[in-house]
Amino acid sequence: MSIGRKHPQARRAAAAAPAAATPASRAGELAAAWAPTAGRVLLGLVLAWFGYHELVQPGLWTGYVPLVASSSALAAVAVLAHGWLLLVLAVALIFGIATRVAAAAAAVLLAEIVISLIAVGGLSDLTMRDVGVFGLAVCLTGQHPQRLVLRR
Amino acid sequence: MRPSTTPAGPAGLTLLAATAVAGIILAVHGWSGRHSGLAPGALGTTTSPASATAGPASPARTAAPPGSGRASRRAGSRSAASPAPAGSSPAAGHGPLLSAQPYASYSFRVWPGTPSAAARAALTGLSVKVRRQGSGIAVTASVAGQRAAAPRFYAHGADVYIVEASLGDDSGNSDYSLGDDGLVVTDAQGRILR
Repeated sequence: MSIGRKHPQARRAAAAAPAAATPASRAGELAAAWAPTAGRVLLGLVLAWFGYHELVQPGLWTGYVPLVASSSALAAVAVLAHGWLLLVLAVALIFGIATRVAAAAAAVLLAEIVISLIAVGGLSDLTMRDVGVFGLAVCLTGQHPQRLVLRR
Repeated sequence: MRPSTTPAGPAGLTLLAATAVAGIILAVHGWSGRHSGLAPGALGTTTSPASATAGPASPARTAAPPGSGRASRRAGSRSAASPAPAGSSPAAGHGPLLSAQPYASYSFRVWPGTPSAAARAALTGLSVKVRRQGSGIAVTASVAGQRAAAPRFYAHGADVYIVEASLGDDSGNSDYSLGDDGLVVTDAQGRILR
């Protein structure tokens, strides 16, 4: 792991800041430096949790597969493939490996989940919760100063 | 301005490859045990979400209470809900105590008495009807919106429990994952009726 370099915009902001920074501005700088990392790791933990459980107990998740009977082998295969992808993306996000690419892939995956949930059950609290997670993944695809990333 | 990216170096790629292999191993494990927790006749064998499909309902599983309904629930342990096979008639044998089962803490009494708030939440997406009939009770269980199966009869004194390991898959009147749901009927001593 290595600490990523400060983002150019963050460097410029730091240079423009007055010498005596207020606590609020210091907190803002701290948040700017670490919030993307926190969001990335937390999103990774969410994906890891779901990925692991989909892999070890696909039978409990096949009900989410649209258009396919939940008792079918096809549904189980779909859940296993989904879980595998979630697990790989989770590790990439948690350890900071190709973070923007991983976040973009996670965003696509979460968009698929939101769409399938809407298709199957319409708008619901579950769907809106996943919309929020999707938003986090979209956020992380942007250019952010990233810390705790595995560059080697 | 060139966008900054986090490159994937050899160490990162190795870690991803190891994860991919571990994921495949877990998938093989999951595939081999994909039917666990979904006993024939379980609510989870029907297509879901519960409110989105139509068709014949599966017979419900049945089991019993340790004496009183459980109001508490542990989160995040969906695997515990694999209730015993369906009980079907008063003449059938009596099984183990529900209180001794791993899913006991996820069981909520719906009969007799008024179902608790937790029981009502656990019933999301499901339809469980109990009515007195002769010297016993008739229990009908199905997925909401689906045709109910024929009622099953139990002797007087039986308790009916709904099993729901996780409410995280419930939304509105839909239960997106029926694999952690079940119905259990017990005798007066809390033994699961078989």
